Amino acid sequence: MELALDFLKNTGFAMADWRYLMMILIGILFCYLSIAKKYEPLLLLPIGFGIIIGNIPFFKGFGLGIYEDNSVLHYLYFGVTSGLYPSIVFLGLGAMTDFSSMLARPKLMLLGAAAQMGIYFTLLSALALGFDPKESASVAIIGGADGPTSIFLTAKLAPHLIGPVAIAAYSYMALIPIIQPPIMRLLTTRRERLIRMPDTERHVSRKELVFFPVVGVLLCCFLAPASIPLLGPFFLGNILKVSGVVDRLAKTASSAVIDTATIFLGFTVGASTQADVFITPKALGIFFLGSIAFSIATASGVLFAKLMNLFLKEKINPLLGAAGVSAVPGSAREVHLTAQKEDPGNYLLMHAMACNASGVIGSAICAGILWSFMMG
Amino acid sequence: MIFDLSRIAANNGWAMAFTGAILVLSGLSILALIISQLHKIIGFFEKQTKGLPVEETKPAPVGHADLLNDLEATVTLYQSLTAGLGERFDLAQLYRLAHKDQLPHPHLSLRTLRENGFLIASGDGTFSWKNA
Repeated sequence: MELALDFLKNTGFAMADWRYLMMILIGILFCYLSIAKKYEPLLLLPIGFGIIIGNIPFFKGFGLGIYEDNSVLHYLYFGVTSGLYPSIVFLGLGAMTDFSSMLARPKLMLLGAAAQMGIYFTLLSALALGFDPKESASVAIIGGADGPTSIFLTAKLAPHLIGPVAIAAYSYMALIPIIQPPIMRLLTTRRERLIRMPDTERHVSRKELVFFPVVGVLLCCFLAPASIPLLGPFFLGNILKVSGVVDRLAKTASSAVIDTATIFLGFTVGASTQADVFITPKALGIFFLGSIAFSIATASGVLFAKLMNLFLKEKINPLLGAAGVSAVPGSAREVHLTAQKEDPGNYLLMHAMACNASGVIGSAICAGILWSFMMG
Repeated sequence: MIFDLSRIAANNGWAMAFTGAILVLSGLSILALIISQLHKIIGFFEKQTKGLPVEETKPAPVGHADLLNDLEATVTLYQSLTAGLGERFDLAQLYRLAHKDQLPHPHLSLRTLRENGFLIASGDGTFSWKNA
């Protein structure tokens, strides 16, 4: 009888409290949103299931939890804390990205830079709220709307915040259709939203596509060497794709490699949200600041596009500024749909993809810059 | 958590934010400038090497008006639609997504993609991309 009672005391049922139950409900919600609503399913499903698994209460000391040495989850989590998974994801992203739209419209790259202002605004807000500089940089990078970049920088600067930062980043990315359109409409007039962009652009040759990764990696990584772990694999993946001589490698990088890293990244980040280390006032602050970061990033891209229009003969549709965040291709599609609501014949998707591609590079540069500042 | 602006100055926040913003803006501006001239630089070196007149770049339609003439653009667009469908997908699903996004001529586009070998039939009613 005593043995049975001891066993019962060590079950998850006996050890659970409201925090674990709340996190498990959040995990179930993530799974529901990914399966039923198809919100970022590639990311939300592994994260949601990871949250459920990470919040099953267990007897500490058995080497089961993600924060316990020698546990299986701890070894898998090493890919997150070392920055390995984000680098591999970037390799795959590079192999999937088509830069021809951006190369044909280089001026739209500036919108990708402008949308990164959300990062710096949030850096200031987080410092003012009492986060230390490294934590502030980790929270600020959520404004880049790039999950792997957020996880990478947080793993380097404030590993104890990986869970909240990752969950905030991916949640807001999944909520793009809810967050971005009101900001876009608030900051633009109907007349601006009706601006059509020219369909025909310069033809981009294969040589340009091959030269771009080399020029891009040299310039970006010379400017911010700390972004090498992200932009190095990113441009490598891209040159594998555009060179046309290693189709097998490009295909593997853009399928099996990125998929494997995404599964383990999502799963272990989800599992790292163990209730006893996740539910803290700081986590709430991170969710609040994350939403501010994302909104400011969207707004700064739109406002910068309006500023550019003051000097350009051929006006650009300011909605494109919202695609300067690096959430590919969600924000580009949202810009396209918002424009089409005003004018069904207005087709902005290719232009928005140019801003999106630039945003990916911009947010990785920002991560490198912030890392350099904090290490300096 | 109390909002206190003096913490920003105490942690050198203003300088970090200002410098960071300038760096990313100038970095991407320089990159934009370089890539806007890249085709001219490549053309110049080709001219030097071959001693022949370089073929002028012709404007190619990549947008809405004549999307079907640009297979690369069509493939990119339709691949972005299938991102959440998995490696294999139903053509009807893809058609519905294209229709929902109001892409032009979805039927014709899908037929073109099939005829040009970009969409591969898996034999069980589903399709996958050639390089998937």
